[in-house]
Amino acid sequence: MPPLLEVQNLQTHFGTLDGVVRAVEGVSFHIDAGETVAVVGESGCGKSVTAMSIMRLIQTPPGKIAGKILFQGRDLLELTEPEMQAIRGKDISMVFQEPMTSLNPVLTVGRQIGETVMLHEGLSAKDAEQRAIEMLTLVGIPAPARRVREYPHQLSGGMRQRVMIAMALACSPQLLVADEPTTALDVTIQAQILELMRDLKTRVGAAIMLITHDLGVVAEMAQRVVVMYAGRKVEEGSVEDIFLHPLHPYTRGLMGAMPKLGSSLTTTGRTKLTEIEGQVPSLRKPIIGCAFAGRCPEVTDVCRRMAPAIEEKAPAHWVACHYAARAMAAA
Amino acid sequence: MFAYTVRRVIATIPVMAVVALFVFSLLYIAPGDPAAIIAGDQATPEDVERIRESLGLDRPFLLRFTEWLFRVLQGDLGVSIFTNLPVSHMIQQRLEPTFSLMALTLVIALSFAIPMGVLAAWKQGTWIDRLVMVFAVMGFSVPVFVVGYVLAYTFALQLDWFPVQGYSPLANGFGGWLSNLMLPAIALGSAFIALIARITRATMLEVLSQDYVRTARAKGVGQRSVLFVHALKNAAVPIITIIGIGFAALIGGAVVTESVFAIPGVGRLVVDAILRRDYPVIQGVVLMFSFTYVIVNLIVDLLYTVFDPRIRY
Repeated sequence: MPPLLEVQNLQTHFGTLDGVVRAVEGVSFHIDAGETVAVVGESGCGKSVTAMSIMRLIQTPPGKIAGKILFQGRDLLELTEPEMQAIRGKDISMVFQEPMTSLNPVLTVGRQIGETVMLHEGLSAKDAEQRAIEMLTLVGIPAPARRVREYPHQLSGGMRQRVMIAMALACSPQLLVADEPTTALDVTIQAQILELMRDLKTRVGAAIMLITHDLGVVAEMAQRVVVMYAGRKVEEGSVEDIFLHPLHPYTRGLMGAMPKLGSSLTTTGRTKLTEIEGQVPSLRKPIIGCAFAGRCPEVTDVCRRMAPAIEEKAPAHWVACHYAARAMAAA
Repeated sequence: MFAYTVRRVIATIPVMAVVALFVFSLLYIAPGDPAAIIAGDQATPEDVERIRESLGLDRPFLLRFTEWLFRVLQGDLGVSIFTNLPVSHMIQQRLEPTFSLMALTLVIALSFAIPMGVLAAWKQGTWIDRLVMVFAVMGFSVPVFVVGYVLAYTFALQLDWFPVQGYSPLANGFGGWLSNLMLPAIALGSAFIALIARITRATMLEVLSQDYVRTARAKGVGQRSVLFVHALKNAAVPIITIIGIGFAALIGGAVVTESVFAIPGVGRLVVDAILRRDYPVIQGVVLMFSFTYVIVNLIVDLLYTVFDPRIRY
């Protein structure tokens, strides 16, 4: 069976006054039906741009998207705008990072949820409101019949993110793209939202592309992980592979930068969190050699001259590093 | 909402009181002695004094103001010095052309300016955007009377599409009413269109970059609905504000436009009254215009709550 979503050699560039910004440079990955794949990396690594490219929400120009985005066998980049509109919100929907600003402040919550089903399923305004009430119930908002007539400013941040999720799931999409869905929320609310997403995923059966920089969230939610750096995919594998046997120095750096329970407070003396030294390279100039070379603790001359190809070093574990074999032997 | 409306209506009372005081003081502030003007060139000082007395101009200010205010509240705006007709009656006769002109101008302005502004914002940086902006600058820079004469020359004299001037009451048929008012309304509306189109564009540009517009697109909402439902409703408050403010300019413009197109409206009435120093008429018209403006602003305030649920007073 072909994957639900297959991204092949995605390149998203932006023309700016200072030259072309290569936000995404040749990223490939796939998501199977019902699977949760996390895309991780630090700010500016191209995770969100990848998501926006899949939704085709990048304004072109100045943006330019190349490559292939196959969704159920159809290349989304070949579709006309009306065809794409029919897919957005119905087959692929999206939850954004900022629940405070992502809802329209002058439309009722019910209207915003109902709009999706009115558009894609041709429901009447009355039936759409009924569906909105059902969706609010599903995402655990109390007194949904009253809330449906309220405006976003009358809801808390957590509530708003629930509304966003209700909106995204109203048409039972095949794929939910969640761009940092919990980043802006309190820690206690984060756990609730993650729990809700996991619960709904099993009910609706949607695959999730989870964009995050929070490795705790990855461990909670995902089956597979794609690690991105400077617009490139540097490693991909199962959650176990990535957490237990990271092969790319950047992935290892990310793991080292994550606080672990029991590693500091309970043991004698606090172990310092390791940081990844240096800066992300400018995406304005073509990068010669490995994109991570400037910050890599294990860098050699080869890395500076030649970009490593992404290769399957172990079953379903892909990595772009000249020294992956050495890392494997060490692990 | 109801309590808010009542409070807003009550709040207009002190505003109107100040306006009334100012309007009444016009007589004292303005140069020239009305008694002397009415008496004419041949009058003796005794004649002037007699007229002054008959007009009550020699009595104390506050006393006269209070008396005047009470009469105004009963709908009595006094009698014209020149025609000896009741001012309220004179204004009433002239009201229809003026309000027709303003209403048509408002309709034309809104139905052109808002789509223009939205289009310019959507197509930001393209030739469409630039065209709209050029029009906006021109519309704002060229005075009403120039636009009026150019329109009258082109579309009335040369092309003969519309009457050159005059007014046909609504009671005599909609067609005649509309064709008589078309050119004046466009002339009066050009600056208004320019103003609203600019504000609409600027506000829409800001709104279109908001996260919730992206959310709407991510839901599969079409471009038209994104622009006119999701974005425009958020842009409504600044646009309505500018419409309310622009209304004052519209009143001033109506006076000029009525002169250019020989429309027998309130504007003409006040111009004539000013030339004759016919103070009761001037006071009556200014009071009426001020009252209209206060009402328009009241409507604007109430509309805020309709378009933005976050606004609560």
